[in-house]
Amino acid sequence: MNVKRVFFFKHRYVYFAISIAVILTGVIFTLVNGLQLDIKFKGGTILNYSCVGDVDVTKAESVIGSTLGQTVDCQIQTNITNGGQTLVINLAGNEGITSQDQQTVTQVLTVTFPDANMNLTNSQTVEPSYGARFFKNGMIAIALSFILILIYVGIRFRNIGGFSAGAMAIVALIHDVLVVTSVFAIFQIPVGDSYIAAVLTIIGFSINDTIVIYDRIRENARLLGKKVNTEELVDISITQSISRSINTNITVFVSITIVFIFAQIYNITSIRTFALPMMFGTISGCYSTVCIAGPLWTMWKNYKSRKRAARA
Amino acid sequence: MGSARMKPAFFIVVLITAFALYVALFGLKLGGLTLNGANNMRFGIDIRGGVEAVYSPKDLDRAPTDDELEAAKAIIETRMDAQNITDRDVKIDSANGQIIVQFPWKSDETDFDPQKAVSELGETAHLTFRDPDGNIVLEGSDVKKSYADFTSTTKTPIVVLELTDDGATKFSEATGRLVGQKISIYMDDTLISAPTVKTQITGGEAYIDNMESEDAAAALAQKISSGALPFSMEAKTTNIISPTLGTGALNVMVLAGEVAFALVCLFMLLYYRVPGLVACVALALQVTGQLLALSIPQFTLTLPGIAGVILSVGMGVDANVIVSERIKEELNSGKTLRSAIDTGFSRAFSSVFDGNITTIIVAIILLIFGSGSLLSFGYTLLWGIIMNFVAGISASRLMIRSLAEYKGLRKPQYFGARRLAQ
Repeated sequence: MNVKRVFFFKHRYVYFAISIAVILTGVIFTLVNGLQLDIKFKGGTILNYSCVGDVDVTKAESVIGSTLGQTVDCQIQTNITNGGQTLVINLAGNEGITSQDQQTVTQVLTVTFPDANMNLTNSQTVEPSYGARFFKNGMIAIALSFILILIYVGIRFRNIGGFSAGAMAIVALIHDVLVVTSVFAIFQIPVGDSYIAAVLTIIGFSINDTIVIYDRIRENARLLGKKVNTEELVDISITQSISRSINTNITVFVSITIVFIFAQIYNITSIRTFALPMMFGTISGCYSTVCIAGPLWTMWKNYKSRKRAARA
Repeated sequence: MGSARMKPAFFIVVLITAFALYVALFGLKLGGLTLNGANNMRFGIDIRGGVEAVYSPKDLDRAPTDDELEAAKAIIETRMDAQNITDRDVKIDSANGQIIVQFPWKSDETDFDPQKAVSELGETAHLTFRDPDGNIVLEGSDVKKSYADFTSTTKTPIVVLELTDDGATKFSEATGRLVGQKISIYMDDTLISAPTVKTQITGGEAYIDNMESEDAAAALAQKISSGALPFSMEAKTTNIISPTLGTGALNVMVLAGEVAFALVCLFMLLYYRVPGLVACVALALQVTGQLLALSIPQFTLTLPGIAGVILSVGMGVDANVIVSERIKEELNSGKTLRSAIDTGFSRAFSSVFDGNITTIIVAIILLIFGSGSLLSFGYTLLWGIIMNFVAGISASRLMIRSLAEYKGLRKPQYFGARRLAQ
């Protein structure tokens, strides 16, 4: 049988080492910097006001702080594209504040800085209990998708040993979730809406990648039958679908990179914090399928057949 | 099916796509039928700017009852009506005793103070019954209970009011002097009903008839109950986004989407030629279907919703790439164009199908568990995958087979085959 084959399985330990190194980097960053939870999840208050001229940040901190009886952190951010200034007010603690208190802040600011033309552009205040519920729902969604995907793959790919294939697909998914989480730790992006959206998108892409290869394995198992061992079967299947894997992932990567570039230029934080992890997630999704799920599944199959041989 | 009849299929699909795209962008008005286009799409507050506030009862040491929450919702809605905020979303979360309110902050409202608006919506309603001269005859706290019911005789909807003892005395006096005249019921300064007094009411139980429908009766009963609500509402979870900030995000996403779409099409055309051209039309059809699924039922699109569009476009590209690669493989193995196309599609189907179904699983989980903006992600994703079945599989197949009928396009290298293979 003369079928083109790239030896993916042979180099599996190199691939595993690369993945472990990337994830370890993420873990180290998480340990050093900590993973920031967005106020959407942990609760808290951030108010943004557009303003002009020189605004004394320390003065703003003290007047707001004494009015609310809370420690306050103020910063001035300048938008590179249009030169606009924003006063960012961060309230210490995780409590949400009432809209009445927000009105007081606005009033105090207008009185203290009459020439700064303070205007509210964005305010977010979240009670910890509300945030916790939101976080819990997001995590349930992710966990539940894992379980249902495992069951579906198990049923659809039962002739190539369904549940082991499903389990290895889940290992690849966990790999991708860890890589995406590492991106949040390394770039200090607070874990919020964009995290859940990015993780779910990557789960979608990655499981699709894995299924395309499993599908090829399923088909080749039928065509080549017992003529090849698992190692060859998997290598051949990955080789045959590699140009599809690369082309698809390149188009997705390029698209999401364009989104990231635009968000970066126009300084749209909400999009940037989604696009950047997605860029890494796309690469990870493709890599985990070709270099992790396939070889791991082969190892599992080999282990099973050795055990069977030993028993016989 | 005769091959000659397949020929125009490509152009028919292109025409349908173009028409659907036109409707998706500009909407359609045909007689009584109105389809909303992208110009009337509902955007989440993260895209167009607006206010989201989660109201909880203030200083209440127990969970509010469902009736109390309904009454509180009626207050908020009446006040929004008074301010002409029609494009809003008010939901009760009874499990957590909260009311979630969302409304846009329009860019022409320069004087709008969103923080003040959030505070005012939650204040206790001041419910008053006034005689024709404007004198207050009864207040919200005098009403013990108010509910919708039917008359025992004619079975028409009515609103029943049960008054406190104090209220009964006041009302008896007022109705005694106002027989044949109207008593106007106000929430704050908004007139909510003006029934005519037929006879003096002494027993402390009154009813208002002449209700348009059961729903109208229920709505009025809730508004009247709100006057006796023992608490005010406050919002400690709010998200306010100014329209300028919001519109910026939308414009950037649209621009980025257009550039990305153009690049993907260019790549598909150069790399896969004829199947690439078909892929571009199929992708356009898929995204168009998604836009219509958002704009026609007026489902809210949020930024995570756009992420759902991106994911499904990726899946759509993938379906076309898998098919194109398969056709190429079959051609390289020496098959004729016609049979390469058929085998290519049937071999690609199982993997596209399984990939799509797993993604649908994720989408449905999000529709069930996703709160707020993630709901939009699940919705766009679900429709993207449904459209992928329609466009990426069925329509693509029709189009490729149709184009393969044209002599000039029949060369295998136009389908990505190696030249040597011929």
